[in-house]
Amino acid sequence: MSPLLRAKLRAVLFGALGIGLFLGAWEAVGVYRLVGSSWPPLSTTLAFAFDPDRATLFRRAMATTFSMAAGGYVIGAAAGIAAGALGVLVRALRPGLDRLVTTIHAIPSVALAPVFIVLLDRDSTGMAIAAMIVGYAMYVATTSGLAVASAAHRDVFAAFGASPLARLWRLELPAALPALAGGLRLAIPGALIGAIIGEWFGASRGLGLLMVSAMHNFQIPLLWSAVLITSAASLVLFGVASLIERRIAERFRA
Amino acid sequence: MRALGTVVSRYWGMALILLAWQGWVTVFQLNAIVLPQPLDVLADILSNPGIYLANAGQTAWMALVGLATGMAVGTLLAMLAWSSPLLGGMLTPLGVLFSSIPVVALIPVLARLFGYDGGTVVAIVAIISFLPAFVFTASGLRALPAGSDDVFRAFGAGGWVRFTRLVVPAAVPNWMIALRLAAPTAILAALLAEFLIGTSGLGYLFRAAGETFNTERAFGTSVVATVVSILLFSGTLAAEAWVRRRWG
Amino acid sequence: MPTPAGPAGDAIRLDRVGKAFTLDDGARVDALVDISLSIGQGEFVALIGPSGCGKSTVLRLIAALEAPSEGRVSVEGRAPDELSRAHRLGVAFQDHALLPWLTVSGNVGLPFRLAGRPVDRARVASLLGLVGLAGFEQARPKQLSGGMRQRASIARALALSPDVLLLDEPFGALDAVTRRRLNIELQRIWSEQRITTLLVTHAVDEAIFLADRVVVMSGRPGRILRTLEVPFARPRGPEVMRTPEFHRLVDELTLLLEPEGAA
Repeated sequence: MSPLLRAKLRAVLFGALGIGLFLGAWEAVGVYRLVGSSWPPLSTTLAFAFDPDRATLFRRAMATTFSMAAGGYVIGAAAGIAAGALGVLVRALRPGLDRLVTTIHAIPSVALAPVFIVLLDRDSTGMAIAAMIVGYAMYVATTSGLAVASAAHRDVFAAFGASPLARLWRLELPAALPALAGGLRLAIPGALIGAIIGEWFGASRGLGLLMVSAMHNFQIPLLWSAVLITSAASLVLFGVASLIERRIAERFRA
Repeated sequence: MRALGTVVSRYWGMALILLAWQGWVTVFQLNAIVLPQPLDVLADILSNPGIYLANAGQTAWMALVGLATGMAVGTLLAMLAWSSPLLGGMLTPLGVLFSSIPVVALIPVLARLFGYDGGTVVAIVAIISFLPAFVFTASGLRALPAGSDDVFRAFGAGGWVRFTRLVVPAAVPNWMIALRLAAPTAILAALLAEFLIGTSGLGYLFRAAGETFNTERAFGTSVVATVVSILLFSGTLAAEAWVRRRWG
Repeated sequence: MPTPAGPAGDAIRLDRVGKAFTLDDGARVDALVDISLSIGQGEFVALIGPSGCGKSTVLRLIAALEAPSEGRVSVEGRAPDELSRAHRLGVAFQDHALLPWLTVSGNVGLPFRLAGRPVDRARVASLLGLVGLAGFEQARPKQLSGGMRQRASIARALALSPDVLLLDEPFGALDAVTRRRLNIELQRIWSEQRITTLLVTHAVDEAIFLADRVVVMSGRPGRILRTLEVPFARPRGPEVMRTPEFHRLVDELTLLLEPEGAA
């Protein structure tokens, strides 16, 4: 067996061991109540989440939260990419855009919640916060991605008499795709965070609301189930995005 | 004249937002309960300095202590993971797993586990800051220039020398990135935790203002929270620049 | 298709050209000083010199990638960027700069797209045959060897039947065997096309084998030391490189390139 294959096998084995120990500890801490009654065993949480009696409850909550997250994701990505492209195309705007985006990013979502509640409604705040988080990630990915094309490539395009539009379309954009794909992947948990935070500020339904009300009312299995469902969804989408990103990097990276 | 040009080119965005804010209130003749005027918000801040400062200080303190603790533990664990291939192999996928989930969703769970008091806020910030510190420091250590460790070993350098002269400088740039990423999250986590379960701090102040429909206070809290966040962020940027100058 | 030449039938002309760069700390570095050079229609000129002598800068000035600080660069009596804007310039650099997401035929056909013309598939196919890449149309640059990538780069340079061909160390990153083989091929290809060409290289034997005229430059700042007419008739086969005359010329020019005071 080649050393490379052995190293990969070892990585997979150790990784599986680590995850296995983690899941085992999760179960054990719950079963033996090592940190009190607020930590249920993994099996209890899973049973609760998949309980057919609660299916409607969770399905509705998931629909709300995921649609808010998705809406924020799409809007934020479009805005972030557009702003990034604008900053690269019109160089004069770049310093102002950079500072504006960085400042907006530094504003904690808590601070913006009242603004969004006023401008939109309580239930859509999550989408706005998600859009902000995703927008920032995609602005950074776009501005750095459009700069990836090397000087040698630019020289060749200039020598062949390419117009700025042709250069953008045939060189800078394709070269930026790996960075864009990476940004889109990293933005996924961010969109979900935004949707959940938005719900904490007074939405009428959603997984975030379930979390907070379960927390206040000592409904431990409900609390853990809501968190588990959100995390699982994020993991799955993140994994899918990773696979897509790998394919794109393979085709578009030098 | 040039200085003015620079200021305009950098800050036109923010000026636009302030104008839009004032414009929105004026044009739509909004009731102060719905959206207060920027000047009224400023007035509330300036006329209640004690309340704002005390709570801002509380939040900042919580965030800093939590951030420091989380980063220390994360760094330590990253170094342990680097020195032991078994531990590193086990922890790495867990690190990736926890980086791909919405960490603030853990706040209600942690709040229920630790109870509703101030210490919980710090613990929450620490746990949330621990993750980027671990992931980035670990990858920085793993990315040690190939062959450099062999060179050091060949020269008979002892473990401690290897550590300080090779490992630490390699890990530091990534550590600074981790700090820059963790700092705004730390403030956000502190604010969210205070908002949900706190009895003091800017997050709590915000909730209290909301419950009494004191919108000037609520917006004032937002502004002050933003300022604190920006200050912390600038601090980490400055630290990163300082480190880069010294360690290259 | 013959194109109008400038005064005295020159295709490319540098008149007392100087180029200075400003470094980050504000210091000015003279890359080129008082360069006067003319390249005739259909002539193959090689520019050799030690590292850093500015020969690549000369090429970049002709390609309109840089502007001269002093003097004048003209191509066919007009400004150099008119040539690239009219898509009549072909370039191949040491960094092949092929687009990794296009196939070989996609890359070779790129100049057509950049010129806003439909891709002439027959021409792309014949060019690939010419450079010896027939059968690799659908391969991606990642799958090719260094030598094959440079062939693709040269095929791309020839795609629009340019009036001027600029080559900047196209074989610099290749091993000696591949390099020699590509030199022979380039000579063969060029003999059929007779494009006005400037080749920048630091390999003396390559310069003498390929060019009608070899121009030797000195070190920083760059100046022209000497010009040499290459006496060999075309077409030239590899046997030319074995003649005593060839070796003598190589030795003579190599001596010129050594820094002053070397033993």
